[in-house]
Amino acid sequence: MSYAIPRKGPRPAHSPARLGLYVFVGLFLLWTLVPLVWMVLSSFRTQASMLSMPPKLFVPFDTYSYWYMFFGGGGFGHFLLNSVIAAGGATLISLALGTLGGYGLARGTWRRKADLSFWIISTRMAPIAAVIVPLYMVFRQLGLQDSLLGLMVAYCTFNLPFAIWIMQAFFRDLPKDLEEAAKVDGCNTFGAFWRVALPLAAPGLVATGVLCLVFAWNDFAFATVFTGADTQTIPVAASQLVTQQGIQWGQLMATATIILTPMVICGVAIRRWLVRGLTMGAISGQ
Amino acid sequence: MLLPALVVLAALSLYPFFYLIWMSFSNITLIGGISTTFVGLQNWQTLFNDPQVWGSWLTTVEFVGGILILEMVLGIAVALAISALGAFRNLVLTLVILPMFLAPVVVGLLGLFLTNSTYGLYAYLLHSLGLFNNSDILGSTSSALPAVMLMDVWEWTPLIVLIVAAGISALPKEPLESANVDGANAVQRLRYVVLPLLRPTILVALLIRSMDAIRYYDIIWVTTAGGPADSTKIIPIRLYETAFRFFNLGYAAAIGLSMLVVTIILGRLFVGFMTRGDVNVVRDTA
Repeated sequence: MSYAIPRKGPRPAHSPARLGLYVFVGLFLLWTLVPLVWMVLSSFRTQASMLSMPPKLFVPFDTYSYWYMFFGGGGFGHFLLNSVIAAGGATLISLALGTLGGYGLARGTWRRKADLSFWIISTRMAPIAAVIVPLYMVFRQLGLQDSLLGLMVAYCTFNLPFAIWIMQAFFRDLPKDLEEAAKVDGCNTFGAFWRVALPLAAPGLVATGVLCLVFAWNDFAFATVFTGADTQTIPVAASQLVTQQGIQWGQLMATATIILTPMVICGVAIRRWLVRGLTMGAISGQ
Repeated sequence: MLLPALVVLAALSLYPFFYLIWMSFSNITLIGGISTTFVGLQNWQTLFNDPQVWGSWLTTVEFVGGILILEMVLGIAVALAISALGAFRNLVLTLVILPMFLAPVVVGLLGLFLTNSTYGLYAYLLHSLGLFNNSDILGSTSSALPAVMLMDVWEWTPLIVLIVAAGISALPKEPLESANVDGANAVQRLRYVVLPLLRPTILVALLIRSMDAIRYYDIIWVTTAGGPADSTKIIPIRLYETAFRFFNLGYAAAIGLSMLVVTIILGRLFVGFMTRGDVNVVRDTA
């Protein structure tokens, strides 16, 4: 649906205003896409070929070597696996607890519910830098420094409140009647949740999972403090390619492409629920 | 059902929170095991009299204020333009939101690449316009802050576009039709009908972005790390540096708590706004 209301009679197809619209959108698309396209192209180009100025947009790919480092043992393949474990683990924990919690929050009626909700959302919004400082001390005492388990726990500090809050919004959309009917038929509260509400909220569950995954996968701040040489995640490994001695741009761009691709695929797959998820449930979207 | 989630969340957030408060009244040394001494209000006294911290708050206001204005104005304009596109609306919207999925740290690294004076595409374009021929874009105090701001604008304007476009497609048709009947032109319809109706959506987008703007600091950390000459040292960078470069953890805790206060105020506004039920409701804005 467009906000422009069709007028009576045929609309002039190429009016100056229309043309201006196309130019404006076209320029914004260029601004948005050029860096991404350039990133992918550069991952196939040697340092020497990048040096050629003016920059050539259409050159045959002259190397695939930056991509080899992700396959085979050790190195970047290993860091990629660290990312999968830390982000995946945190997402599963947050989803499991967050779904239950979100359901409880959506259906519960008790005093001070507003305060509870506020506490949950403020936990999600707390500045990362302020969260890292006490966690660092606690992790040192518990020996969770330099471990993927510690990183998973750190990711739950923002993903768990997010999952609770968003799942609550999805559960609130469901009609209560179905669950009440299930209870009349002999289900207990958990049964009504597990057999009725959860299957109905499945799309919301997937969307929440994807967003948790994106937030954790894309994290750098926590990972750079809580991981070491062996436990670093792929965004940290990418940042380490920037050294005093110089920067391997091709390698860096290949790593950047590897970081981006799965998130774009997941993100576009849940397009319908993106607005809902990214506004913390405040706006429903299409 | 809410209980397991709340217990875990309390362990993840309340314990570190109280720990942070206690840290802010202590002097902490890490060498030879953690040792803490209670110093009362000393950290807080330093905080209020530290010109560097005040300077960082000022930079934070410039940075956050600047990106919010740019992202909101550009985002709303692009959302309106895309919504008026018709045929390719959905495809364009999908392309526009791609930068959102790129890890902020990688946005910084990509920005580093594009502005690199030897290899950078954007540096080349600026050079051929006669700009920055003798200076490094991220290396001079006058251009570093605008450059990192533009990187943030590149990544997050799409979020505003996405949210506002969703708001536009949910607009009721009647007010626009009656405005049309009354003979309002496109500018008048926008000014007196569309924008007032979008007000709640725009406010949600603004609040979400302002909370995230002080949450993340990855872009600045990997590009300038706060330099040159503190010109990009926003408060989260100052905190990170105080904690993990100078290991002055007690003082860092005090800075962290002061940041938390700002977030809590913004969070209160957001939740208050959501629970007042303004969102998705046509508002009387006479």
